[in-house]
Amino acid sequence: MLGKKKSSYFKSLQGKINLSLLLIVAIAVISFMLISLQQSKKVIRETSVEYTAQLLKMVNENIDSYIGNMENIAQIVTGDSDVSSYLFSEGTVDALFGTRVEQEFKTLMESRKDIYNIGIIGENHRYLINDKETVMNPYANLEGQEWYQMALAGGESLTSSHVQNVVQNEYPWVVTLSKGILGPKDSGKRGVLFVDLNYSSIRNLCENLNLGTKGYVFILDAQGNLIYHPKQQLIYSGFWEEEFDKVQEIKNGTVYSKDKQRMYTVTRSDVTGWSVVGVTDEKEMLASLEKIKVLYYLMAVALIGVAMMLSVTLMDVITKPLFNLRETMKRVENGELDVEIKEPDSADEIADLVQSFKRMLAEIRQLIDRNVREQREKRKSELNALQAQINPHFLYNTLDSIIWMAEDGNTKDVVLMTSSLARLLRRSISNKNEIVTLREEVEYTQSYLVIQKMRYKDKLEYAFDLDERVLGIEIVKLLIQPLVENSIYHGLKYKENGKGMLAVSVAKEQDDIIIRVMDNGVGMTEEQLEHIFDERVIDHKRNGVGVLNVHRRIQLHYGPEYGLSFESEKGVGTTATIRIPYRTLGEV
Amino acid sequence: MGKKQNRKVFIASGVATILMLLAIYSISTYTGSARTDAGISVILIPKVIDEDNDFWGAITEGARLAAQEKNIDLAIMGTAAETDVNGQNRIIEEAIEKKPNAIVLAPSAYEETVPYARKIQEAGIKLVIIDSKLSENLGAAFVATDNVEGGRKMSEFVKDDIDENSVIGIVGHVKGTSTAAEREQGIREGLGKYESQIADVVFCDSSYSKAFQVTCDMIEEHPDMNIIFGMNEYSAVGAARAVKALGLEQQITMVGFDSSLEEVEMLEAGVFDAIVVQRPMNMGYLGVSMAYQISLSTEMPQDIDSGSVLITSDTIYTEENQKLLFPFRESN
Repeated sequence: MLGKKKSSYFKSLQGKINLSLLLIVAIAVISFMLISLQQSKKVIRETSVEYTAQLLKMVNENIDSYIGNMENIAQIVTGDSDVSSYLFSEGTVDALFGTRVEQEFKTLMESRKDIYNIGIIGENHRYLINDKETVMNPYANLEGQEWYQMALAGGESLTSSHVQNVVQNEYPWVVTLSKGILGPKDSGKRGVLFVDLNYSSIRNLCENLNLGTKGYVFILDAQGNLIYHPKQQLIYSGFWEEEFDKVQEIKNGTVYSKDKQRMYTVTRSDVTGWSVVGVTDEKEMLASLEKIKVLYYLMAVALIGVAMMLSVTLMDVITKPLFNLRETMKRVENGELDVEIKEPDSADEIADLVQSFKRMLAEIRQLIDRNVREQREKRKSELNALQAQINPHFLYNTLDSIIWMAEDGNTKDVVLMTSSLARLLRRSISNKNEIVTLREEVEYTQSYLVIQKMRYKDKLEYAFDLDERVLGIEIVKLLIQPLVENSIYHGLKYKENGKGMLAVSVAKEQDDIIIRVMDNGVGMTEEQLEHIFDERVIDHKRNGVGVLNVHRRIQLHYGPEYGLSFESEKGVGTTATIRIPYRTLGEV
Repeated sequence: MGKKQNRKVFIASGVATILMLLAIYSISTYTGSARTDAGISVILIPKVIDEDNDFWGAITEGARLAAQEKNIDLAIMGTAAETDVNGQNRIIEEAIEKKPNAIVLAPSAYEETVPYARKIQEAGIKLVIIDSKLSENLGAAFVATDNVEGGRKMSEFVKDDIDENSVIGIVGHVKGTSTAAEREQGIREGLGKYESQIADVVFCDSSYSKAFQVTCDMIEEHPDMNIIFGMNEYSAVGAARAVKALGLEQQITMVGFDSSLEEVEMLEAGVFDAIVVQRPMNMGYLGVSMAYQISLSTEMPQDIDSGSVLITSDTIYTEENQKLLFPFRESN
């Protein structure tokens, strides 16, 4: 049942429009939202990448400046003749060289706090590190160290971060730059200069960089060795994995970890070849997106809600008149032609439709009215025409009566009868006027009765009981005479003994006029009474003019609540009663 | 006629759309990021808070890394001295007051800490024990160096040089402690059939001077002694000082446990032939990580080995080992 209702809703105009609207709004809002989210994500990511790259660039520039500075120092020291003299002079070293070199180292180190050691070491193991007092670690195993080997071979090297064990009892974390020092030409003597950069300066650069709570920075040297990583030990133990291969492949740019949860932003320095890599947590980076997302979804829900409410109200405005129109049409369909059509408030197409319907309905009503009126008029004239005819038998009989009376020389009666007949005929012929006063109708009936009385003599007695107040009322003509005629021919004529009595009374009863025609004729059985208005039993001798005609004309003129009724008892008599309104015809 | 019904249907459709939208939202949110960073708080109670102590410094650093990685609200509470058992017990009570999700505890005492550790669990706080055992099996996880394995590494290093004539001495730290017993057990297992070559086991009560003394006494008693195991930093350094003082560096092969600058210097100088070092950073990291996991789910109690490494003079300066032996300090 619910399904049926639902389907009917989806079929209704209101349903269709509402649902389409909802669908359109939902699609629009959702696509807008998704596109916006995508866009926001992109922007957030781009901003983050840009920001990270900026920071990393600064780290790189700082490192470059540290290394550049170390190289400057190396340049100064290796080009110093005192250094050469100190390292390579034959025999014992002149203390003067040592003091000068020491002084130079001191100056250099004071200018740069990030330098941990400056040292020169000859192949002959003559050395000076920082100052004359510093003692070299006897277990240092210089030959096993790459930076020493490479520099001795005439090259230059930059180590990764490592523990420097050259000085006895000291194990600092440093980055070492080393450079070869050549002895006097053809002497074949070689030496090494090394400058140690305090690792904490690099470490601090990385640690102070804020890439979110989960983000961090690590540095790889040109060979891919770790210079700095906050989780270095965890990496060695296998508790933390970093995709160094991916990072090594790119020089500058971003790359994602396999699980897409970490984003590597790589900046490689051209000076050192080191890659400073920023690691940002994807989730953390997009945390602000979560907030935006909540906002967007709330907005979408709100928009759809508002659209729904608007749609419902709008639909009321649009479909309410339609709905009303449909209801009205249904009533009209069921025959209620006189329904009241509400004027719509608006002036839109629906209002036009309602107006058109209204006009149409008025037209229909008019047409129907005219049709009814015409039919009624037609019927009336037909009936009148019938009624107007004077029964020819009556005419013959009357004329015969006149002849007999004339033969008898009964002039007085001839005059009376002839004048009465003349009055009857005149009335009948003045066909145009179908409205007469009650008085005229009564007079007509009296004329008729005069004639009949003369024919039936003592067999017929009649009397009138008239309320003078109502005689001026105009009525449809020929209402009383046919009833009188009916009483005579069907009631009194067959009465076998005793006098035939006929009484006509006109009286006012409340707002009605009651006309009664009573006789004491043979009366009717109940069955006859029931069929008194049946057309079939109309006496054809009387050309169908009779009680039915009277009844119909009353109803046609006055309405169905008025008319003719009969009371009768077999052998006692019959009373015909006409009920018409107390008003002049034509007044409504 | 069915107007109210119609409106109901329409509103139902609208509500359905909105619900669908919310469903999409929650699905996208939950698939996008499992929301497990639900503000877990953990308190770490090491045996000591001491800037100069490399071992505990590394544990703290590891703990901090785990906290950062998992968005854990980490607090560290501790005493200034490793031997302050009552102090630690007080701190445990303070920590319970703060109602963290979990407490990572390195118990100062084998026996005395037990009732306080129990209090932690009774307060409904998850407990992870690190570094040292308790006399009772408490805590949902135990993260420490596998000392038997560490001991085995010590003896396996010298195994090739051992024969029937070898005289082996062991300098332990505190008799009856679990670490001493387990390391000794590991050494014995590693020696295998040469276990009987162990001539003496002495204890120094974690004192350099006593270690020096008992080592001298032991060597005097067994002049042929050619292998000595030092079972923690105190016993190893004390014993090495004795060997050095007696000038027996060449005769005696020494293997130490734990590291300090002095111990590394003596390894570099050849007094020690090898040392076995723990991975305290891993211990801190794993301890806090376990606390986090246990706080989110009910996991079965388990023991986790944070690992140990054997280092010889040749491998001091490997990338990995120098990180273990020379923890970076701002003061360098």
